[in-house]
Amino acid sequence: MSIIQQHTAASLSDAWRTINIDALEEDSSVNFDTSTLHPALPEVSEADVRQINIQVRQLLRGGDAEGALRGSLEMPVYNGSDLAKEAHLHTVIEVLQSIKASEMTPMLQRIYGTPGGSECLDVLMKYLYKGMAATSAADGNSSAPRTPTRMTPQQTGFSQVGGRPGGANESTGGAMSVLLSWHEKVVEVAGLGCIGRCMTDWRKV
Amino acid sequence: MLLLDYQNVLIESVLTERFSGAPPVTIDQTVSDFDGVTFHISTLDTKTKIMVSIQIRCYADLVRYGAEQVLKREYGPYVVAPEPGYDFSVVVDLEDLPAEKEARDELVKKISLLKRNAMAAPFEQAYEEHYHLREEASKFTSEEAPQGVREGGEVKAIQYREEEAIYVKASHDRVTVIFSTIFREETDRVFGKVFIQEFVDARRRAIQNAPQVLFRNDPPLELQGVPGVKNTGTGEIGYVTFVLFPRHLTPQRMLDVISHIQTFRDYFHYHIKASKAYIHSRMRRRTADFLQVLRRARPDSEEKERKTASGRTFKVGS
Amino acid sequence: MSQSLRPYLQAVRSSLTAALCLSNFASQTAERHNVPEIEAQTSPEVLLTPLTIARNENERVLIEPSINSIRISIRIKQADEIEHILVHKFTRFLTQRAESFFILRRKPIKGYDISFLITNFHTEEMLKHKLVDFIIQFMEEVDKEISEMKLFLNARARFVAESFLTPVSLICPQTRPNSQVDVCLSLTKRTRRINKQSICAASSWLVEGHDSDALRLAFGEHKRIMITLSSRLLLWLLQVVILSNCRRLTIASKGNTYPEFEKHTRELTIRFLSLA
Repeated sequence: MSIIQQHTAASLSDAWRTINIDALEEDSSVNFDTSTLHPALPEVSEADVRQINIQVRQLLRGGDAEGALRGSLEMPVYNGSDLAKEAHLHTVIEVLQSIKASEMTPMLQRIYGTPGGSECLDVLMKYLYKGMAATSAADGNSSAPRTPTRMTPQQTGFSQVGGRPGGANESTGGAMSVLLSWHEKVVEVAGLGCIGRCMTDWRKV
Repeated sequence: MLLLDYQNVLIESVLTERFSGAPPVTIDQTVSDFDGVTFHISTLDTKTKIMVSIQIRCYADLVRYGAEQVLKREYGPYVVAPEPGYDFSVVVDLEDLPAEKEARDELVKKISLLKRNAMAAPFEQAYEEHYHLREEASKFTSEEAPQGVREGGEVKAIQYREEEAIYVKASHDRVTVIFSTIFREETDRVFGKVFIQEFVDARRRAIQNAPQVLFRNDPPLELQGVPGVKNTGTGEIGYVTFVLFPRHLTPQRMLDVISHIQTFRDYFHYHIKASKAYIHSRMRRRTADFLQVLRRARPDSEEKERKTASGRTFKVGS
Repeated sequence: MSQSLRPYLQAVRSSLTAALCLSNFASQTAERHNVPEIEAQTSPEVLLTPLTIARNENERVLIEPSINSIRISIRIKQADEIEHILVHKFTRFLTQRAESFFILRRKPIKGYDISFLITNFHTEEMLKHKLVDFIIQFMEEVDKEISEMKLFLNARARFVAESFLTPVSLICPQTRPNSQVDVCLSLTKRTRRINKQSICAASSWLVEGHDSDALRLAFGEHKRIMITLSSRLLLWLLQVVILSNCRRLTIASKGNTYPEFEKHTRELTIRFLSLA
């Protein structure tokens, strides 16, 4: 075999230096399959999610907000398509938004006191974080180019404020503050362990 | 130092010292001024003759707009043939100074205003044109004024820096002065925008009789067809327009207004730079504050003294 | 503090406190290495679920925990172009000094303005709750600082523009620009700190960038100084004195002053001191 290697277009550029060769090896720790860390979870389909949504809405209409919250939290979508997860997130947020601020703490305390309530709040916490991540990421993408565009020529000068990035600022801000106050209340009731379990649990919503 | 001086302070101080009757000495100094202007102060063959030369980038432009006449008017008897490498020179003989102190100070002042006077020529010409056009226009009503009177004079372009220029245009009811200025970097551009906005608003808010200020990123209509004006479209170049109305154009106000408006570009950029410096020092202080907070996170590492049963002390490393 | 800022910071605080549970963990891929797992990303089983806390789409915090390190990324509010440039300058200034900040990451992760990396070695050396305090205080102060800088810039721009456009400047009699005034300054150390707002207001008068430090350097602790100043320099001094913790400034002028100037300085002094 010749020691003079064949040059190809790929080997001439230095793009190959950035290839993570560990990732190509099957035994590498990079390729550790984290799904083996927990037992397989039942798959939830979109139809199921829709079913839950309808039930929850009925409960909400009937004035049973607590039941609605429990109902939405007892059937978290751990294993399912992205669409199903997304849809369930909306269900949860819908419930959260329909509950008055003054009712939050007593309701959480009641749930926490019942058997399985602690798990419920863990799930709620997961959805709170997911909610904040999802909404902000979606909006972050829509206003993607972060460097403001160049000054646009105008006839008589310019307005100093310019176009605020993302006109939907106020509405998302409102949605966020609901999630943030729920977050505060959940921590008050269930403690920091709740956040810890959120981070460490492999069952992701 | 809010406003910039019109005169060159260094020339002023050198000449004041020389004129005060101190024994003559050899001088050879090169002095820089704004806009790449260079002065040279030197003594000729005898120590009593002081020559001040000026070199301006756009001297050719200025001559076209009558700089020579203006300088001749100002420096009449002192003008000499320009020193090689410079555009204009004056020579003062210390043995031939005016007797009174006031007159001597006046002379110092005048020479230190060399740059201002050279640059003033196009403005003075514009003033003259404006007076002339106004007279013309007063003979007609606005509709039937001949084309020339309505349109006003030609645009005088002074390319006083590599990429920046002043444009002066006289009309029968106003004199328009346009500065094109370049922003080298994003920060300058944004800061400049804030500053300019205040210039634009000042008239509306506080100083009703100030000249109107306009700002845009593409060449204004007045500059259409003027050679050397190009629209890069990148927003790097800004055009600042000052509209001087008749109340600014009275002959009494002429000197001050011309001096003042000349300093605009340097004043503007100077304050942008000064704000950056201030913000930088602020950030420095704030960073120190943050470090202080972070330092609080370290537990006190003072050495604890402990005694053994026998009373001896030893130190426990923390 | 605005209505939604408190729950936001509270959420960040509790999440950080929960996430800052780090232990020493040697690398599984390289022998005798100990690297922050969150940066190395070589062992997926030690990376935990990242948490996002958002106030709105312009302000959010991303916490990426792992077994021996966490990465905190902050996106700072930027409402317009000015704030954007100020945030950029400020974060750049900080990251260039990352060495002395220990936990500051030199480069923010994509989509955020500034990132911190806290490893188990940091938490072993430093107090955890104080580290959390630091992050929270940082978030608070950065917002405040940015808006103050913006305020300053606008105030200064206004002042600069107005003084240029004022037909004949009142402050500096152009006819005699260099007339000398003898000034006696009595600088008394301010007993209380000037509050933030007044500094902000007064700083718009301060035209030179770092004059306040310059003055303190120049005059130190001297109580009374006699100096000869030009009228312009005096103005500058007046502007500076306000910001340099002096409670009282007396100007006694003698020599070739003229009444209108004296009147004007007195007016200015009153104006400045009432500002501060």
